[in-house]
Amino acid sequence: LADVSIAEDITVEGEITVPVGSRSPDEDYSTLDEPVRETILRDLKAVGKKFVHVMYPKKSSALLRDWDLWGPLVLCVSLALMLQGGSADSKDDGGPQFAEVFVIIWFGAVVITLNSKLLGGTISFFQSLCVLGYCILPLTVAMLVCRLVLLAGSGTVSFIIRLIVVVAMFGWSTLASTAFLASEE
Amino acid sequence: MKQVEAAAVRGRGGSGGASPLTGRSPPQAPDETEDVSLDLGSEEELALRKAEIRHPLATFFHLFFRVSAIITYLLCDWFSNSFVACFVTILLLLSFDFWSVKNVTGRLLVGLRWWNQIDEDGKSHWVFEAKRVPTVAASTEAEARIFWLGLIICPVIWTVFFFSTLFSLKLKWLALVLAGISLQTANLYGYIHCKLGGQKSIRRATPRLFVAADVPRNRPFPPKGKIPR
Repeated sequence: LADVSIAEDITVEGEITVPVGSRSPDEDYSTLDEPVRETILRDLKAVGKKFVHVMYPKKSSALLRDWDLWGPLVLCVSLALMLQGGSADSKDDGGPQFAEVFVIIWFGAVVITLNSKLLGGTISFFQSLCVLGYCILPLTVAMLVCRLVLLAGSGTVSFIIRLIVVVAMFGWSTLASTAFLASEE
Repeated sequence: MKQVEAAAVRGRGGSGGASPLTGRSPPQAPDETEDVSLDLGSEEELALRKAEIRHPLATFFHLFFRVSAIITYLLCDWFSNSFVACFVTILLLLSFDFWSVKNVTGRLLVGLRWWNQIDEDGKSHWVFEAKRVPTVAASTEAEARIFWLGLIICPVIWTVFFFSTLFSLKLKWLALVLAGISLQTANLYGYIHCKLGGQKSIRRATPRLFVAADVPRNRPFPPKGKIPR
């Protein structure tokens, strides 16, 4: 019998790769069978990541890869609610103003997107809507601050404070949108 | 198999004389009075496919958001006086419906899915995915019917609302109705695209499975021989 033992100081190592059975080619990125909770969590994480990015803008190229319109929807609704809450002293409940805010935001975003596409921009339609919608967050914060300032009083001082806050938040919005659009320029 | 053979034996009871107790089929060449033997595997599949509803929660939610959005729109004057509350409620219901139909009920009930993908050079393309192999855990006919009916009828209803809003000049609702129409039509368009694209690939990739899964409802033919009195 041949001696098949090996000397003890030789280490034997290697890799065994076994081809996994017959997987259909579309199972690699197919999400057809994932459980529902995973779907929800995945989308929530994407939305949360974008909100964080608006608050702390730094350039990120992969952020817009999975765009979503949930953030813009929530922001639009909250902005419209706060804006129409201000005119609560009139007789009707500010219904038409509420719908106006919606129309202005969404129609305006669509027009801007179409404009950029016609000028040869490379960003896709929904990505642009996503950016414009998410960058409403600083304006919503400005709205909150202005409401609080208005509670304190409505003189010239409060007007100047509100003006400064709105301009600052507007600048923040612009900065955040450039961070979103880092690679698309 | 035994049942099938016994039936064949009984059908020929007049002539052959073989007793049903022995279970031996009469030594005659198989002729047209023998039953077609069914593959019991596909019988099970058929039974499971005919089972009522395998994803009750998904079916419920598929219809729940759409129908409540429509009902809230119709009855909003009963629920509350505030236009804003109704607007926000219906809008949220429509958004949840869009998300759940697109991401959950489509793939659970009919095995289709569509989404938008942005690849590395920034180009966006739309992906329409259909389940290639109809497995046993796939959808039943009842579920598929509910899915497609719900998907088709609701955009039609919202279009009717659009015209009624336009002509009765209640223009403050127009934004909401337009949002409803666009969200539901988007889902309808996406799934029809999936379905049409999917059928081609099913036929190309797995022709045998396609045929086997669609076995017509075979019932054993009645034995042609004389029934013994």
